[in-house]
Amino acid sequence: MALKKPLAAVAATALAATLAACGGGSDDGDSSGNSGKAEKGGNAIFFVGVRNVEHWDPQRMYIGRDLNNSGRLFYRSLVALPASNDPVEGTTPVADLATDTGTTTDGGKSWSFTVKDGVKWEDGKDITCEDFKYGASRNFATDVIIGGPANYLFTYLDVKTGADGLPEYKGPYTKKGQDQFDKAVTCDGKTITYRFKKAWPDFPLSIAQLRYMDPYREDLDKGDANNFAIISNGPYKLDGGWKEGTGGKFVRNENWDESTDPIRKAYPDTWDFREGDTDEAIYEQLLADSGDAQYAVTERRLPPALFSRKDEAGDRYTQVESPYVDYVLPNFNSEVFKDANCREALKLATDRAAWIKAGGGEEYFKAADSVINPGVPGYKPNPAFDAMGESGDPEAAKAALDKCAAPKPVKIKFTYSGGTPTSDKQASALKAGWDKAGFDTELDPLEDTYYSVIQKPDADFDVTWGGWGADWSSAGTVIPPLFDSRINLTGDSNGNDYGNYKGGAEVDKMIDDAYAEPDLDAAADKWAAVDAKLGEDVAYIPLEITIFNFVHGGKITGYANNVSVNGYADLAVIGVEK
Amino acid sequence: MTIPGSELEIHETETPVEDDSVVSVAGRSPTQLAIARFRADKLSMISFVLSVFIVLCAIAAPILVLLGVLHPNDFHQELLSDDGVAPAGRFGGISWDHPFGVDPGAGRDLLARLMLAITSSLTIALTGTIFTVIIGAVLGIVAGFSGGFVDAVIGRIIDLTLSFPQTLMLLALSGPVVVMIRQDVADFPGFGFFTNPDLANGAFVIVILAAFGWPPVARVVRGQVLSIREREFIEAARLLGASRRRLYFKEVLPNVWAPVLVYVTLLVPAYISAEAAFNFLGVGIKPPTPTLGNILADSVSYTSADPMYFFLPGALLALIVVVFNLVGDGARDALDPKSHR
Amino acid sequence: MLAYVIRRVFAGVIMLIVMSIVTFALFFASPIDQASFICGKNCSAAQKAQTAAAMGYDDSFANQWVDFAKGVVQGRDYPDDPELRKTAPETIVHCDAPCLGYSRERGDTVTNLIKDTFPVSFSLAISAFVLWIVGGVLLGVTAALKKGTIIDRGLVGLSLVAYAFPTFFVGLVLYKFVAIKWGLTDIPRYTSIAEGGVGGWLSSLTLPAITLAVFFMAAYVRMTRSYVIESFQEDYVRTARSKGLRERTVTFKHALRAALTPIVTMAGLDFAGLMGGAIITESVFNYPGMGKLAVRASSDFDLPTTVGLVVLLAAFVIVANIIVDLLYAVIDPRVRLG
Repeated sequence: MALKKPLAAVAATALAATLAACGGGSDDGDSSGNSGKAEKGGNAIFFVGVRNVEHWDPQRMYIGRDLNNSGRLFYRSLVALPASNDPVEGTTPVADLATDTGTTTDGGKSWSFTVKDGVKWEDGKDITCEDFKYGASRNFATDVIIGGPANYLFTYLDVKTGADGLPEYKGPYTKKGQDQFDKAVTCDGKTITYRFKKAWPDFPLSIAQLRYMDPYREDLDKGDANNFAIISNGPYKLDGGWKEGTGGKFVRNENWDESTDPIRKAYPDTWDFREGDTDEAIYEQLLADSGDAQYAVTERRLPPALFSRKDEAGDRYTQVESPYVDYVLPNFNSEVFKDANCREALKLATDRAAWIKAGGGEEYFKAADSVINPGVPGYKPNPAFDAMGESGDPEAAKAALDKCAAPKPVKIKFTYSGGTPTSDKQASALKAGWDKAGFDTELDPLEDTYYSVIQKPDADFDVTWGGWGADWSSAGTVIPPLFDSRINLTGDSNGNDYGNYKGGAEVDKMIDDAYAEPDLDAAADKWAAVDAKLGEDVAYIPLEITIFNFVHGGKITGYANNVSVNGYADLAVIGVEK
Repeated sequence: MTIPGSELEIHETETPVEDDSVVSVAGRSPTQLAIARFRADKLSMISFVLSVFIVLCAIAAPILVLLGVLHPNDFHQELLSDDGVAPAGRFGGISWDHPFGVDPGAGRDLLARLMLAITSSLTIALTGTIFTVIIGAVLGIVAGFSGGFVDAVIGRIIDLTLSFPQTLMLLALSGPVVVMIRQDVADFPGFGFFTNPDLANGAFVIVILAAFGWPPVARVVRGQVLSIREREFIEAARLLGASRRRLYFKEVLPNVWAPVLVYVTLLVPAYISAEAAFNFLGVGIKPPTPTLGNILADSVSYTSADPMYFFLPGALLALIVVVFNLVGDGARDALDPKSHR
Repeated sequence: MLAYVIRRVFAGVIMLIVMSIVTFALFFASPIDQASFICGKNCSAAQKAQTAAAMGYDDSFANQWVDFAKGVVQGRDYPDDPELRKTAPETIVHCDAPCLGYSRERGDTVTNLIKDTFPVSFSLAISAFVLWIVGGVLLGVTAALKKGTIIDRGLVGLSLVAYAFPTFFVGLVLYKFVAIKWGLTDIPRYTSIAEGGVGGWLSSLTLPAITLAVFFMAAYVRMTRSYVIESFQEDYVRTARSKGLRERTVTFKHALRAALTPIVTMAGLDFAGLMGGAIITESVFNYPGMGKLAVRASSDFDLPTTVGLVVLLAAFVIVANIIVDLLYAVIDPRVRLG
């Protein structure tokens, strides 16, 4: 998932946001520093971050925070992740609306699930197999249901791809190609079966961490107009409407049966989601533990400028590693960086420590040594980046630059996503390091137009910035989306391959092999090998892993930053003192 | 509309200046009289001296950077505190080497950055003013002189321009227009420099300032032209067969300079302030090139950790605006003794 | 009078039409691919083209404008797809006239978005308006009456300084220091009358209204002062004085009345401009008004919302112009409409 700054469209899912060394994070699923005993009742508050919720439609959601929160409060899936901070348990799906975690008889080429008895929608209707099938079909209405992770389904589900690169099935609204979909997804009583073109061994994990296969009600579907509509099947339902920019209030859903739900504790009576407050306003109240903030949790990070006051919060302050990695990409289409020696020099000159300091320091970022987050299977420190050291190696970089064909000083343009408080300083910090080694860097900050510029294959830049987190716990949701030239590079766009990296036959084959590997552990090793190759080519230069710094209210009980929700607050187990 | 919008339309408090109100004493020209009146006003003179100093600063800053005296872009992260981003030490890290302290996160010298910021902010404000006045004066003269249909059309264009929500247009157009400047405009031969982000962003701010700022100038000039049009020397020129263009620019223009000059002195501070407000909304020249606006916009994130970084540029901005406004007021009073302060 | 109003309204409508065409032209020429903003990541070229088509962006400029204008007059369906009307009519959103558009970004009609945000902006505008008119005119008149004294100099100096600080700076000082750091007031969060009663509503507006009013107050002090001073020099004031009228009568019945006329004009237009949302103040305090909506709409290239807001705000200004001219005639007997 791309970390979009300043749009920050952060679709989060990677797993295993392991606890950082310091800070008062909780160690297990449902305890924290709070003495209060978890019990039902009370009103809890969730402060939504600077970026408002964009979609509550399950098939359109792609932001980690929203995927997590909705899954914990009002959307259930066939399988879901338990509220656990154990790196294995917290990333192993358990049955939720289904009776088990799915069965496959052909190594992942088809998956079957059976819907539980007694599970209901908020209006009392039973959740049926057809609801799941309908939900899946909505992904194909690419002119209405946009913004979600439907592409994975397009790659795998056994529906033919048309000449335009889109599936021949056009979704339930026009029903074009419906017969193909009806063959790929079938209902037999309460059992739903999905059939794929190729094996998809971690399919259950993908539906536990994304919401795109959630059930949906055909009779209540209004297409785009349902963007903020919530048809709940979890413990809470929306009271009144959702107001973009203000938020909404969730109350108990009487038709949710606790006995069918192994995950959601649903302690508070209400959840008040608030959009539109500033970070400072929220964090002043959270630090002082005053007013409404006593009952609040948030996915906003403690602003670096307030970090020195974290001790005021005592054990209400927690620190966790995020599932994201930030990096810079040399542009393989640029005159300078076509030359491997120039890329090598850029790598060696990159001062990660200065970048980190300018962004808020070591409490906010940890140096990264691979584009794969350490929480994702397949992560190995990439040996290609050992030589960088903490602050780069200006001498070695100079030596490497001597071999670079471009005329000295080597003029380069760094195009990055500006407009956030720190991004410009971070870019200047990198420039300082590069210039020391003999580059002459021009900074080119872009804001809203950033992605539309760097996605052009002929765009005029030499280095650019990127950020990514896995869609689910697999390096297969990191490396191909970023570096597989076959899916990214089309005539007028480079997709997510902003550096226009073309691995050629060798890398293509390695990627195909890793995809085809049915054993998930063996697949992880194969992804690590692809990553090592990317490092050799300097396809990217890793910068850092964001560290989350959170504070929650003093009347919150059971606070936990679980790996099952990417290190965010796990709303499934949080309660409030009355 | 809030600040940027409102500041573009200066609240005109005076009736248009009329030259014939200046009573000639002892054979001195109106200009000499005005200068004498200006010099007699202490406050105006002090402001004038200060404004000259500010302009000199603006000119000197880039030269000092080239000479290696000022280092606006050198990082000194070692001067920052360990557990945060704010400068170590009191009052934003003030020291002999950095008399105004350093900026949080990077540790760059604030004095150097502020001096260079005056350069860029003043350049934008002055260029914006020049374009505003050119558009306003040309359209005002044409409208006033032609009358009839042309006058009516220009009048409608003025109404149309004034009814656009300026700040909203600024925001909505910034993305597309800056891209357009950098791609399409830069393609014209001789305009290649517009691929530079600073020049493109600066150009956009100037375009917006001028595009929405000219109507009041045009109105003042038009009124002025109407009053001059019927006067004898124009009649005489017309009878002598002077061409239209000659009439517009050789005869009329020299007679409308006084109100235009007053406008210019008031537009410059308004535009400096507007540049800052635009940058707060994320429009304008981006760091590392400093402007008063982008330093202030940056400081917003550090108000609690490093208040000095917020108040210092804010006070400097206000000082510059006050000084230029006072010069403008002084100029107006001197040129139009009828207005009583 | 009636003829005049009709003529003005007619001219106003023409102006709005021209405005909307100009706005469309400006945005239509935009080199930015709006579809990709809605389409999100992992969006193939084909998907982008499809999204653009669904939003009507692939249509010609003239057609898009005609569709927009039709929507304002007779309402509109989104998407306007006859095939979909047969297969899945429930997915079509009907937007009643006057329909300013439908925002895919926010999944709602622009009319509804404005209905939600307008009360916030209006509350802010009216409270700031009261502050600056009362404060500005009173202080301006005081300064004029005490012309040349220390009071006058103090007021003029103060207004000069207040005028020099940009609104966002004043707002940030109030928000980040007065409210947050020093805790002198509650942290402002917009509260409607329905939620917090009149008291809660007013107190939530205090700081933003002051922020917004400071600049205008400074301008109005100076403006009022100079108009009043000017009007004292008018012949009819001298006449009134020489008639032996009491100074109080001269001041209030003659001088002030004349001086206030241009101030009413100015105030009406300033207020109209603010009704459409104080972009900076709402951004500083994060108030969910039309200004904030505009900021969000322009940052994600939400074209329908932006165009809708531009046209609506222009309508405010045009209507205010008409009203102000009518008021002018009421206040100032010298003005004849015709």
